[in-house]
Amino acid sequence: MADDTAATAAGTMRKAGVGRAVPGSRVLLPLAGIAFACAIWQLTVVVYDLPVIVLPPPWAVATSLSELVRSAAFWRDVGVSLFEFVCGYALGTIAGIAVGALMAESRFFRMTATPVIESLRFIVPFAWIPLTVLWFGTSYTGKILLVAYAVFFVMTVSTARSVMHVDPTLTRVGTMLGMSRIELALRVHLRAAAPAIASAARAAAAVGWIAVVAAEYVGASAGLGVLITNAATSLQTGHVLAGMVVIGLIGAGVSGLIRRLSRSRLDY
Amino acid sequence: MTTQMPGAGSESRATPANPGTTSGGGDLAFEKISHRYVNGSRRTEVLNEVSFNVPAGSVACVVGPSGCGKSTLLALAAGLQPASSGVVRWDGKPVRLGPNPDLGMAFQQPGLFPWMTVRQNVAIGLTTRGRSRAEARRIADDFLLAVGLHDFQDAYPNQLSGGMAQRVGIARALALNPRLLLLDEPFAAVDAFTRLKLQQELKSLLKRYRPTVLFVTHDVSEAILLGDVIVAMSQRPATVQRIIPIEHADRNRASPAYARKLAEALECLGIRSDADGA
Amino acid sequence: MTGRIRAWTLGACGLGAALIGWWLLSLALAGGGGVISRLPPPFAVGAKLIAYARTDLAADLLASLKVFAAGWVAGVILATIAGVMLGRVRTLGRIFLPLVEAIRPVSSIAWVPLSIVWFGFGFTSKMFLVGLAVFLVVIVYAVDGSTRIAPELSRTAAMLGMNAWQRFRNLVLPGVLSEVFIGSRVSLMTGWGTVIVAELVAADAGLGAHLIGVQQSYDVAAVVAAMICFGASGFVMNALFSAVEARLMPWRQPAGQDE
Repeated sequence: MADDTAATAAGTMRKAGVGRAVPGSRVLLPLAGIAFACAIWQLTVVVYDLPVIVLPPPWAVATSLSELVRSAAFWRDVGVSLFEFVCGYALGTIAGIAVGALMAESRFFRMTATPVIESLRFIVPFAWIPLTVLWFGTSYTGKILLVAYAVFFVMTVSTARSVMHVDPTLTRVGTMLGMSRIELALRVHLRAAAPAIASAARAAAAVGWIAVVAAEYVGASAGLGVLITNAATSLQTGHVLAGMVVIGLIGAGVSGLIRRLSRSRLDY
Repeated sequence: MTTQMPGAGSESRATPANPGTTSGGGDLAFEKISHRYVNGSRRTEVLNEVSFNVPAGSVACVVGPSGCGKSTLLALAAGLQPASSGVVRWDGKPVRLGPNPDLGMAFQQPGLFPWMTVRQNVAIGLTTRGRSRAEARRIADDFLLAVGLHDFQDAYPNQLSGGMAQRVGIARALALNPRLLLLDEPFAAVDAFTRLKLQQELKSLLKRYRPTVLFVTHDVSEAILLGDVIVAMSQRPATVQRIIPIEHADRNRASPAYARKLAEALECLGIRSDADGA
Repeated sequence: MTGRIRAWTLGACGLGAALIGWWLLSLALAGGGGVISRLPPPFAVGAKLIAYARTDLAADLLASLKVFAAGWVAGVILATIAGVMLGRVRTLGRIFLPLVEAIRPVSSIAWVPLSIVWFGFGFTSKMFLVGLAVFLVVIVYAVDGSTRIAPELSRTAAMLGMNAWQRFRNLVLPGVLSEVFIGSRVSLMTGWGTVIVAELVAADAGLGAHLIGVQQSYDVAAVVAAMICFGASGFVMNALFSAVEARLMPWRQPAGQDE
């Protein structure tokens, strides 16, 4: 068993995330990777003499990107997609955590709800797209519900699993200290499962963001998905690729945001 | 640590030096307790008609081979599980499932809430049971001092070694000023030197408070030091093999009385102490 | 009632309640009010389901499955190789993993136009999309499996004097394979979903094409029926995979026992 002083030292080291890091390599190497990929890309275009509508060279995409960023329509589209995503995500996460926690706490509820949830889970969000178009047309509501649906299932399953995996000793401690079942559920189980729930929330964000763009592709009047498909139809491949880059950036941004928010309070 | 005289009508603020006005435990009685665990199609009988009494204010140390149900006895006494058959009585009344305000318990795994600091972990039990936050903090600090973890008040559980976490669990149980104290191998993960210190500290705290204590340990010499009575259990399905009373004289490790008690207890557990060894 | 029977009964009740709720809802909305102006009752959907099963279901399913299988296998294999390389060679990992992380959230949908430009509307195009989606899911597991070796195992290997190849075979490979297995299971659903997406666009054959077809003819009941087919086939695939997993890795039984 570790000696007390060594243990504290180890604890602090663990928190600092010590590794054999070369200073700056965290940023340099990824950039090198991007540069490398761009180089290969440029080479492919040149060597195979690809027409611009098939694969534009990197600088063409960069130009398209800067064009987009300067156009108001682009920002409006981004705003629409983000709005749909955020609303759906909030709805889906809250509902998902609530139902997941309920499933973990109440055996009766779990056994009753599981088959329904499991059956629906296999009807992937993409499969719902045609139906939502039929029902909601191109309005926001359909997309928001779709995102909420996608996020809900990820969060329900993960929350239920995380809460059920909480160390049973903590439950016994809480009972011993005099907590009621509700107190246990909220103050102990959810807190203990919170790191796992947060990482599921990040995965859910990725799923939800994909769902938005997918939905906009099939039936929408505004949004990033629409922007990209319009560009594709008019063979503006540069814009298609620029749009993909934007999708990726926003996705990464959202994921990073969630990680930043959860890191400080949930680092245990 | 400040020493204050407990006056009549003073609020029951418990510190290690100042026993609260609610002192002294009640009777704990196990009456023909049998218990089995069911896992799928497997049934494991852990306890078989276990009966013994722990009189108010005394310390009973339960010793026995691993897996013989010692922890189960504690869980039953704490009202965490119902017994398959038989009754556990506390203060004359059957123990019911659910929280018991007289109870303080330290588990085999420390069970510290990982999102709280050490001090918050000790204080949480006090606030749950109705003390003010400021009071809870003060009491927590005092008991952390008593177990030697004063410098780690603001540390988080993942920064502690196993033994340190275990000590926090003990401080948490003691800070509740319980009338019934249940300890499940509290010093198992602690190194030998710290263990000796903690045994002494626990002994003096128990002397001041006089709760009823049920203490599970596999260390027989610890049982002799701390217990008024040793309850020796058999293998699973466990019954009480023998109840060995401990006199004050037995606790002196240099005395022949100690050696005799030790030998008697070990023999119960199937360990003969021949001079030549078997 | 033992636990098992109780679980089944309650589950059936839950399912039954959901179906009844659906039916009642469809009755309530039949008057054409509200946003969901057309909610077909369960039996209408059931009828469409049977009709579809009698005609094109098998053919469509087969077409989709072929695309899926090809893409999935390719994706898993490539992801495993790439994952091991990126995981074991630290520098390669630091260069390319952020790139992978950046590409991952880009919806397979976004790649569809690109894929059509590159591969046209046929089988290759769809296989590429499925493979890409699966690749991006599994590679994370492969990297994880190849980097996360318990320190005790490492020290044991060093103590036993294993050389690099032996370490790889005995420590890295089993870890990678078991993680990839898990990742493959996760990617089943992603891949299957991508098939639908690919077919929604290409609309030449398969379940997705059928789905778009009935959507465009405003046949809501048939749309729901097609969705159910899709879900059911996903369920069957998942169940088969779980069964195989249970056989190959019996120690990984999912914890299902309630005490």
